[in-house]
Amino acid sequence: MTTDPVQMTAAESVSAATEPTPGAGKYVYCIIRNDRSREFGEIGIGSASRVYTVNHNDLAAVVSDTPIVIYDPTRENVLAHEFVNETVMREFTLIPMSFGTVFRSEKDVLQLLKSTYQAFTDVLDKMQDKIEFGLKILWDRDKVVAAIERENDEIRRLKDEITRNAASSTYFARMQLGRLVEAAMEEASNRYVTDVHEQLKDTSVASRSNKVIGDRMILNAAFLVDRKDEKQFDEKVKAISLQYEDLLTFKYTGPWPPYNFVNIKLKLEKAI
Amino acid sequence: MGLLTNILLAPFLGPVWASKWTLDKVDRVVREELTDDTPIKEDLMKLQLQLEMGEIDDAEYARQEAEIMRRLRDVREWREKFGMSTGAGPVRVAGSDDTE
Repeated sequence: MTTDPVQMTAAESVSAATEPTPGAGKYVYCIIRNDRSREFGEIGIGSASRVYTVNHNDLAAVVSDTPIVIYDPTRENVLAHEFVNETVMREFTLIPMSFGTVFRSEKDVLQLLKSTYQAFTDVLDKMQDKIEFGLKILWDRDKVVAAIERENDEIRRLKDEITRNAASSTYFARMQLGRLVEAAMEEASNRYVTDVHEQLKDTSVASRSNKVIGDRMILNAAFLVDRKDEKQFDEKVKAISLQYEDLLTFKYTGPWPPYNFVNIKLKLEKAI
Repeated sequence: MGLLTNILLAPFLGPVWASKWTLDKVDRVVREELTDDTPIKEDLMKLQLQLEMGEIDDAEYARQEAEIMRRLRDVREWREKFGMSTGAGPVRVAGSDDTE
Protein backbone atom coordinates (compact mmCIF):
# COMPACT_ATOMS: atom_id res chain seq x y z
CA MET A 1 0.00 0.00 0.00
CA THR A 2 1.46 3.35 -0.98
CA THR A 3 1.14 6.49 1.09
CA ASP A 4 0.27 8.91 -1.69
CA PRO A 5 -1.88 11.85 -0.69
CA VAL A 6 -5.47 10.87 -1.18
CA GLN A 7 -4.76 7.44 -2.49
CA MET A 8 -7.61 6.30 -4.66
CA THR A 9 -7.70 3.20 -6.75
CA ALA A 10 -9.83 2.16 -9.66
CA ALA A 11 -13.51 3.00 -9.57
CA GLU A 12 -16.64 2.61 -11.58
CA SER A 13 -17.60 5.02 -14.27
CA VAL A 14 -20.85 6.97 -14.16
CA SER A 15 -22.75 4.48 -16.25
CA ALA A 16 -21.56 1.49 -14.25
CA ALA A 17 -22.74 2.85 -10.93
CA THR A 18 -24.79 0.20 -9.20
CA GLU A 19 -25.70 1.84 -5.96
CA PRO A 20 -28.69 0.06 -4.42
CA THR A 21 -29.73 3.14 -2.43
CA PRO A 22 -29.10 6.18 -4.59
CA GLY A 23 -28.11 9.23 -2.57
CA ALA A 24 -26.44 7.24 0.16
CA GLY A 25 -23.04 8.42 -1.05
CA LYS A 26 -21.53 11.55 0.48
CA TYR A 27 -19.66 14.16 -1.49
CA VAL A 28 -17.23 15.83 0.93
CA TYR A 29 -16.35 19.51 0.36
CA CYS A 30 -14.33 20.41 3.41
CA ILE A 31 -13.64 19.85 7.10
CA ILE A 32 -14.49 22.49 9.70
CA ARG A 33 -14.52 22.81 13.45
CA ASN A 34 -18.08 22.84 14.73
CA ASP A 35 -19.66 20.73 17.44
CA ARG A 36 -23.26 20.86 16.24
CA SER A 37 -24.89 20.08 12.93
CA ARG A 38 -25.30 22.84 10.39
CA GLU A 39 -27.14 23.37 7.12
CA PHE A 40 -25.69 25.44 4.29
CA GLY A 41 -28.61 25.43 1.87
CA GLU A 42 -29.45 23.52 -1.30
CA ILE A 43 -26.27 24.28 -3.17
CA GLY A 44 -24.68 20.83 -3.54
CA ILE A 45 -22.80 19.55 -6.56
CA GLY A 46 -24.78 17.70 -9.23
CA SER A 47 -28.40 18.36 -8.36
CA ALA A 48 -28.30 21.32 -5.94
CA SER A 49 -28.90 18.94 -3.07
CA ARG A 50 -28.81 20.00 0.55
CA VAL A 51 -25.41 20.71 2.05
CA TYR A 52 -25.04 19.76 5.71
CA THR A 53 -22.52 18.46 8.21
CA VAL A 54 -21.52 15.04 9.47
CA ASN A 55 -20.18 15.58 12.97
CA HIS A 56 -17.63 13.85 15.16
CA ASN A 57 -16.83 15.61 18.44
CA ASP A 58 -15.85 19.17 17.52
CA LEU A 59 -15.05 18.33 13.89
CA ALA A 60 -17.52 18.34 11.03
CA ALA A 61 -17.35 17.25 7.41
CA VAL A 62 -19.43 19.42 5.07
CA VAL A 63 -21.20 17.03 2.69
CA SER A 64 -24.10 16.55 0.32
CA ASP A 65 -25.84 13.34 -0.71
CA THR A 66 -24.78 11.94 -4.04
CA PRO A 67 -25.13 8.83 -6.12
CA ILE A 68 -21.86 6.91 -6.34
CA VAL A 69 -20.46 8.51 -9.47
CA ILE A 70 -17.26 10.05 -10.74
CA TYR A 71 -17.55 13.81 -11.10
CA ASP A 72 -15.77 15.16 -14.16
CA PRO A 73 -13.89 18.40 -13.42
CA THR A 74 -16.15 20.44 -15.70
CA ARG A 75 -16.43 24.15 -15.04
CA GLU A 76 -19.95 23.65 -13.73
CA ASN A 77 -18.90 20.96 -11.25
CA VAL A 78 -15.77 22.76 -10.12
CA LEU A 79 -17.71 25.98 -9.58
CA ALA A 80 -20.33 24.10 -7.54
CA HIS A 81 -17.59 22.63 -5.35
CA GLU A 82 -15.98 26.05 -4.93
CA PHE A 83 -19.27 27.78 -4.26
CA VAL A 84 -19.99 25.50 -1.30
CA ASN A 85 -16.53 26.15 0.14
CA GLU A 86 -16.94 29.89 -0.36
CA THR A 87 -20.26 29.77 1.48
CA VAL A 88 -18.81 27.78 4.38
CA MET A 89 -15.78 30.05 4.47
CA ARG A 90 -17.86 33.07 5.36
CA GLU A 91 -18.25 31.61 8.84
CA PHE A 92 -15.61 28.95 9.29
CA THR A 93 -11.96 28.19 8.84
CA LEU A 94 -11.93 25.16 6.60
CA ILE A 95 -9.72 22.42 5.22
CA PRO A 96 -10.75 21.90 1.60
CA MET A 97 -11.04 18.36 0.23
CA SER A 98 -9.88 17.53 -3.30
CA PHE A 99 -12.47 17.97 -5.98
CA GLY A 100 -14.58 14.85 -6.56
CA THR A 101 -14.09 13.11 -3.19
CA VAL A 102 -17.04 10.77 -2.70
CA PHE A 103 -17.55 8.43 0.23
CA ARG A 104 -19.89 5.51 0.02
CA SER A 105 -21.70 6.17 3.29
CA GLU A 106 -21.95 8.46 6.29
CA LYS A 107 -20.15 5.79 8.29
CA ASP A 108 -17.12 6.10 6.00
CA VAL A 109 -17.11 9.88 6.48
CA LEU A 110 -17.19 9.39 10.27
CA GLN A 111 -14.30 6.98 9.91
CA LEU A 112 -12.36 9.69 8.09
CA LEU A 113 -13.02 12.23 10.87
CA LYS A 114 -12.05 9.74 13.58
CA SER A 115 -8.90 8.42 11.98
CA THR A 116 -7.60 11.83 10.89
CA TYR A 117 -8.86 13.74 13.92
CA GLN A 118 -5.48 14.93 15.19
CA ALA A 119 -4.13 16.00 11.78
CA PHE A 120 -7.33 17.90 10.94
CA THR A 121 -7.26 19.60 14.34
CA ASP A 122 -3.61 20.65 13.96
CA VAL A 123 -4.15 22.06 10.47
CA LEU A 124 -7.34 23.89 11.51
CA ASP A 125 -5.36 25.53 14.33
CA LYS A 126 -2.66 26.56 11.91
CA MET A 127 -5.12 27.83 9.30
CA GLN A 128 -7.30 29.67 11.79
CA ASP A 129 -8.42 32.94 10.15
CA LYS A 130 -6.14 32.47 7.14
CA ILE A 131 -7.32 32.88 3.57
CA GLU A 132 -5.70 32.36 0.23
CA PHE A 133 -5.37 34.68 -2.75
CA GLY A 134 -4.32 33.70 -6.24
CA LEU A 135 -2.15 35.94 -8.36
CA LYS A 136 -1.33 35.22 -11.96
CA ILE A 137 0.80 37.63 -13.93
CA LEU A 138 0.90 37.62 -17.71
CA TRP A 139 3.02 39.79 -19.90
CA ASP A 140 2.61 41.28 -23.29
CA ARG A 141 5.75 40.16 -25.13
CA ASP A 142 5.79 43.07 -27.57
CA LYS A 143 5.49 45.67 -24.84
CA VAL A 144 8.19 44.05 -22.73
CA VAL A 145 10.52 43.86 -25.76
CA ALA A 146 9.84 47.56 -26.45
CA ALA A 147 10.63 48.42 -22.83
CA ILE A 148 13.83 46.41 -22.98
CA GLU A 149 14.91 48.21 -26.13
CA ARG A 150 14.32 51.53 -24.42
CA GLU A 151 16.36 50.58 -21.37
CA ASN A 152 19.14 48.44 -22.80
CA ASP A 153 21.77 50.48 -24.72
CA GLU A 154 23.53 47.51 -26.22
CA ILE A 155 20.33 46.05 -27.63
CA ARG A 156 19.19 49.39 -28.98
CA ARG A 157 22.57 50.03 -30.63
CA LEU A 158 22.64 46.59 -32.25
CA LYS A 159 19.09 46.96 -33.47
CA ASP A 160 19.75 50.40 -34.96
CA GLU A 161 22.78 48.98 -36.69
CA ILE A 162 20.82 46.12 -38.19
CA THR A 163 18.03 48.46 -39.31
CA ARG A 164 20.47 50.94 -40.89
CA ASN A 165 22.37 48.30 -42.81
CA ALA A 166 19.41 46.10 -43.51
CA ALA A 167 20.90 44.68 -46.66
CA SER A 168 24.38 44.01 -45.34
CA SER A 169 23.67 43.14 -41.73
CA THR A 170 24.82 39.68 -41.01
CA TYR A 171 22.92 36.68 -39.88
CA PHE A 172 25.15 36.66 -36.81
CA ALA A 173 24.24 40.19 -35.79
CA ARG A 174 20.58 39.18 -35.89
CA MET A 175 21.33 36.02 -33.95
CA GLN A 176 23.18 38.01 -31.36
CA LEU A 177 20.30 40.46 -31.04
CA GLY A 178 17.87 37.60 -30.57
CA ARG A 179 20.01 36.09 -27.85
CA LEU A 180 20.42 39.40 -26.05
CA VAL A 181 16.68 40.08 -26.12
CA GLU A 182 15.93 36.56 -24.88
CA ALA A 183 18.34 36.95 -21.96
CA ALA A 184 17.04 40.43 -21.14
CA MET A 185 13.48 39.12 -21.11
CA GLU A 186 14.32 36.34 -18.72
CA GLU A 187 16.12 38.82 -16.51
CA ALA A 188 13.09 41.16 -16.66
CA SER A 189 10.70 38.33 -15.79
CA ASN A 190 12.78 37.41 -12.73
CA ARG A 191 13.00 41.03 -11.72
CA TYR A 192 9.22 41.56 -11.93
CA VAL A 193 8.46 38.36 -10.04
CA THR A 194 11.00 39.09 -7.31
CA ASP A 195 9.67 42.62 -6.93
CA VAL A 196 6.07 41.42 -6.60
CA HIS A 197 7.02 38.83 -3.98
CA GLU A 198 9.09 41.40 -2.13
CA GLN A 199 6.24 43.92 -2.03
CA LEU A 200 3.71 41.34 -0.82
CA LYS A 201 5.95 39.71 1.75
CA ASP A 202 4.92 41.87 4.69
CA THR A 203 1.18 41.42 4.28
CA SER A 204 1.19 37.66 3.66
CA VAL A 205 2.01 34.68 5.86
CA ALA A 206 3.35 32.45 3.10
CA SER A 207 3.43 32.14 -0.65
CA ARG A 208 3.72 29.33 -3.12
CA SER A 209 4.60 29.45 -6.80
CA ASN A 210 2.89 26.99 -9.08
CA LYS A 211 3.82 26.00 -12.60
CA VAL A 212 2.97 28.74 -15.09
CA ILE A 213 0.23 28.05 -17.64
CA GLY A 214 0.86 28.84 -21.30
CA ASP A 215 3.69 30.99 -22.66
CA ARG A 216 2.52 34.44 -21.57
CA MET A 217 2.41 33.76 -17.85
CA ILE A 218 5.40 34.69 -15.68
CA LEU A 219 3.89 34.09 -12.26
CA ASN A 220 1.25 31.69 -10.96
CA ALA A 221 1.30 32.12 -7.22
CA ALA A 222 -0.86 31.61 -4.16
CA PHE A 223 -0.56 33.76 -1.05
CA LEU A 224 -1.72 32.84 2.42
CA VAL A 225 -3.03 35.93 4.17
CA ASP A 226 -4.31 36.64 7.65
CA ARG A 227 -7.93 37.76 7.54
CA LYS A 228 -7.05 40.94 9.41
CA ASP A 229 -4.53 41.84 6.67
CA GLU A 230 -6.94 41.17 3.80
CA LYS A 231 -7.60 44.82 3.02
CA GLN A 232 -3.94 45.77 3.19
CA PHE A 233 -2.97 42.89 0.93
CA ASP A 234 -5.71 43.89 -1.48
CA GLU A 235 -4.49 47.46 -1.68
CA LYS A 236 -0.90 46.34 -2.12
CA VAL A 237 -1.83 44.12 -5.09
CA LYS A 238 -3.76 46.97 -6.67
CA ALA A 239 -0.83 49.34 -6.21
CA ILE A 240 1.59 46.87 -7.81
CA SER A 241 -0.72 46.24 -10.74
CA LEU A 242 -0.90 50.00 -11.31
CA GLN A 243 2.86 50.25 -11.14
CA TYR A 244 3.18 47.67 -13.94
CA GLU A 245 -0.01 48.42 -15.81
CA ASP A 246 1.77 49.21 -19.08
CA LEU A 247 3.63 45.91 -19.19
CA LEU A 248 1.81 43.25 -17.23
CA THR A 249 -1.68 41.89 -16.80
CA PHE A 250 -2.62 40.91 -13.24
CA LYS A 251 -5.19 38.19 -12.61
CA TYR A 252 -6.07 38.42 -8.94
CA THR A 253 -8.57 36.01 -7.35
CA GLY A 254 -9.87 35.17 -3.90
CA PRO A 255 -10.38 34.89 -1.09
CA TRP A 256 -10.08 31.12 -1.41
CA PRO A 257 -9.84 28.37 1.18
CA PRO A 258 -6.16 27.52 1.70
CA TYR A 259 -6.05 25.04 -1.20
CA ASN A 260 -2.31 25.50 -1.73
CA PHE A 261 -1.24 25.45 1.89
CA VAL A 262 -2.93 22.36 3.27
CA ASN A 263 -1.28 19.08 2.53
CA ILE A 264 -2.70 16.26 4.61
CA LYS A 265 -1.82 12.85 3.32
CA LEU A 266 -5.09 10.97 3.60
CA LYS A 267 -4.82 7.25 3.21
CA LEU A 268 -7.90 6.52 1.18
CA GLU A 269 -8.65 3.52 -0.90
CA LYS A 270 -11.36 2.49 -3.28
CA ALA A 271 -14.58 1.62 -1.51
CA ILE A 272 -16.01 -1.51 -3.04
CA MET B 1 28.94 -26.45 -29.62
CA GLY B 2 27.32 -23.56 -27.80
CA LEU B 3 29.04 -20.90 -29.83
CA LEU B 4 28.45 -22.71 -33.09
CA THR B 5 24.78 -23.13 -32.30
CA ASN B 6 24.48 -19.45 -31.60
CA ILE B 7 26.17 -18.51 -34.82
CA LEU B 8 24.17 -20.96 -36.85
CA LEU B 9 20.92 -19.90 -35.34
CA ALA B 10 21.73 -16.22 -35.15
CA PRO B 11 19.73 -15.12 -38.16
CA PHE B 12 16.67 -16.74 -36.65
CA LEU B 13 17.09 -15.78 -33.03
CA GLY B 14 18.38 -12.29 -33.71
CA PRO B 15 15.27 -10.78 -35.21
CA VAL B 16 13.05 -12.49 -32.66
CA TRP B 17 14.94 -11.01 -29.72
CA ALA B 18 15.03 -7.65 -31.38
CA SER B 19 11.33 -7.49 -32.05
CA LYS B 20 10.44 -8.72 -28.60
CA TRP B 21 12.55 -6.00 -27.02
CA THR B 22 10.99 -3.37 -29.27
CA LEU B 23 7.47 -4.52 -28.50
CA ASP B 24 8.15 -4.37 -24.76
CA LYS B 25 9.48 -0.88 -25.14
CA VAL B 26 6.65 0.27 -27.38
CA ASP B 27 4.21 -1.29 -24.96
CA ARG B 28 5.73 0.66 -22.08
CA VAL B 29 5.76 3.96 -23.96
CA VAL B 30 2.20 3.52 -25.19
CA ARG B 31 1.07 2.53 -21.73
CA GLU B 32 2.61 5.65 -20.22
CA GLU B 33 1.03 7.83 -22.84
CA LEU B 34 -2.39 6.22 -22.45
CA THR B 35 -2.39 6.53 -18.67
CA ASP B 36 -0.89 10.00 -18.14
CA ASP B 37 -3.46 12.72 -17.52
CA THR B 38 -0.93 15.50 -16.79
CA PRO B 39 -0.98 17.00 -20.32
CA ILE B 40 -4.79 16.84 -20.33
CA LYS B 41 -5.02 18.71 -17.04
CA GLU B 42 -2.61 21.31 -18.40
CA ASP B 43 -4.83 21.74 -21.45
CA LEU B 44 -7.82 22.24 -19.15
CA MET B 45 -5.97 24.93 -17.19
CA LYS B 46 -4.96 26.68 -20.41
CA LEU B 47 -8.56 26.58 -21.59
CA GLN B 48 -9.78 28.06 -18.31
CA LEU B 49 -7.22 30.84 -18.59
CA GLN B 50 -8.36 31.62 -22.13
CA LEU B 51 -11.93 31.97 -20.90
CA GLU B 52 -10.87 34.14 -17.96
CA MET B 53 -8.85 36.39 -20.27
CA GLY B 54 -11.82 36.75 -22.58
CA GLU B 55 -10.00 35.11 -25.49
CA ILE B 56 -12.76 32.57 -26.06
CA ASP B 57 -16.50 32.65 -25.37
CA ASP B 58 -18.62 30.26 -23.31
CA ALA B 59 -19.70 28.23 -26.33
CA GLU B 60 -16.12 27.64 -27.45
CA TYR B 61 -15.17 26.79 -23.89
CA ALA B 62 -17.96 24.23 -23.63
CA ARG B 63 -16.97 22.65 -26.93
CA GLN B 64 -13.31 22.25 -25.96
CA GLU B 65 -14.17 21.23 -22.42
CA ALA B 66 -16.27 18.33 -23.69
CA GLU B 67 -13.29 17.09 -25.70
CA ILE B 68 -10.97 17.35 -22.69
CA MET B 69 -13.47 15.47 -20.48
CA ARG B 70 -13.60 12.74 -23.10
CA ARG B 71 -9.81 12.45 -23.02
CA LEU B 72 -9.82 12.33 -19.20
CA ARG B 73 -12.36 9.52 -19.25
CA ASP B 74 -10.26 7.61 -21.78
CA VAL B 75 -7.21 7.86 -19.53
CA ARG B 76 -9.31 6.71 -16.57
CA GLU B 77 -10.47 3.68 -18.52
CA TRP B 78 -6.94 2.74 -19.52
CA ARG B 79 -5.71 3.16 -15.96
CA GLU B 80 -8.44 0.83 -14.77
CA LYS B 81 -7.52 -1.69 -17.43
CA PHE B 82 -3.90 -1.62 -16.27
CA GLY B 83 -4.99 -1.79 -12.61
CA MET B 84 -3.65 1.67 -11.76
CA SER B 85 -5.20 4.23 -9.41
CA THR B 86 -7.65 6.61 -11.06
CA GLY B 87 -8.04 9.40 -8.51
CA ALA B 88 -11.81 9.18 -8.85
CA GLY B 89 -14.77 7.24 -7.57
CA PRO B 90 -15.93 6.35 -4.08
CA VAL B 91 -13.29 6.10 -1.38
CA ARG B 92 -12.94 5.18 2.26
CA VAL B 93 -10.18 5.40 4.82
CA ALA B 94 -7.56 2.79 3.97
CA GLY B 95 -7.62 -0.18 6.29
CA SER B 96 -10.90 0.76 7.91
CA ASP B 97 -13.03 -2.20 8.76
CA ASP B 98 -16.62 -2.47 7.57
CA THR B 99 -17.78 -4.26 10.67
CA GLU B 100 -16.41 -1.61 13.00
